[in-house]
Amino acid sequence: MTRKLEMSLVVVFGVLLVGVPLFAHHGRGGTYDMNKRVTLKGAVSRVAWQNPHVLIYMDVKDADGKVVTWGFENAGVSQLAQEGYNRNTLKVGQEITAIVNPAANGAPTGIIVKVILADGSAIMSRETGQNPVN
Amino acid sequence: MRVRGTTLILLVLSLAAVAHAQDDKEKFKQRYEANVGNAKFNPRDLSGIWTLTKNDHSLGTSAPPLTPAGIAAKAGRIVATNDRIGNAPWYTCNPMGFPRLLNDDEPMEIIMLPNRVLQLFQWEHRTRMLWTDGRKLPSGENLENLGPAWYGHSVGNWNGNTLVVNTVGLDDRAWLDNDANPKSFHARIEETWRRVDSNTLEMQLTLYDPEFYTAPYAGSKKTYKRMPNDSITYFGWYGLYAGVTEGICAPMNEVEGYNKGFRDLGQANRP
Repeated sequence: MTRKLEMSLVVVFGVLLVGVPLFAHHGRGGTYDMNKRVTLKGAVSRVAWQNPHVLIYMDVKDADGKVVTWGFENAGVSQLAQEGYNRNTLKVGQEITAIVNPAANGAPTGIIVKVILADGSAIMSRETGQNPVN
Repeated sequence: MRVRGTTLILLVLSLAAVAHAQDDKEKFKQRYEANVGNAKFNPRDLSGIWTLTKNDHSLGTSAPPLTPAGIAAKAGRIVATNDRIGNAPWYTCNPMGFPRLLNDDEPMEIIMLPNRVLQLFQWEHRTRMLWTDGRKLPSGENLENLGPAWYGHSVGNWNGNTLVVNTVGLDDRAWLDNDANPKSFHARIEETWRRVDSNTLEMQLTLYDPEFYTAPYAGSKKTYKRMPNDSITYFGWYGLYAGVTEGICAPMNEVEGYNKGFRDLGQANRP
């Protein structure tokens, strides 16, 4: 087995490991930079409680004080319901901190890592949930 | 040195494979681990709400080589990767079709009726009818006149305690799996269902499609576990299919909200 083939196997296997859970219902391609995380602080502006993935929007002030509306995707309705969340878990106007993998091109969008509430508790976590976003 | 390097690589691959399998177990076991008892059961009663134990959107084996017609049918299909948006029909909320829906992550309920077995799928909120009233599969001119269907036309027969289901008349636009493999309108798929114990079903299917494949395509045996009641009770409402877990992919949500607003918007190659 040549070194090149060995490395190819590693790459192919790595893609399989990462890729399979991510592409059940979506072809995201390189939408997000999965190696990067950003922390967003602000108020929820809209919750789109829908399948295949719930979309959550929030207003975040940038460094210049300008408000930018960010959106981040979450798991589907049934997965979130199974973990005990519902369409009123996050309410419009609620102050939250969201940690997301951001868009690869700098657009104000992302895929959820977790949401931290005012009391410090983490919810909808992709790190600990039984149904990570797919 | 090369042997040592190869061994190391194989070890890493093996560990990765184990880790992946464990991920699947971790992901799904909470759905069914409460069902540890092995109550008495009727082997011809498949009713219950079931979930696959492994996250695998394929037949679980490698496909045989395609015929030239099969290669032509697969042309233009783009499989999603970490760097590339795919064009699977379901990304724009088209039906997954059979058998792809059977290999999805989301649960399925089986209801036994005197002349039919119903499969109710959470994803797509879809019903599949397996006729067990003795009718024959449509064929010849009848099948041609019926035309293609996303889920085809299915007939089931008991062979001992194994339910053998045959399906024909499938729509060739639906992908067989996440690898973009094709299937022709003239294909037949045979699936076998067996209740192993009170909490376990086993399913295996084989695609017979000489138009697109050079040999029958036998899939691996797949295991379904019965979901405990508390895993399928949401906000006081018991039941998968009629409850809040309506896994419908609506284009007005997915295409406008997600594809345009998230998936396409954030692509690295956009300015």
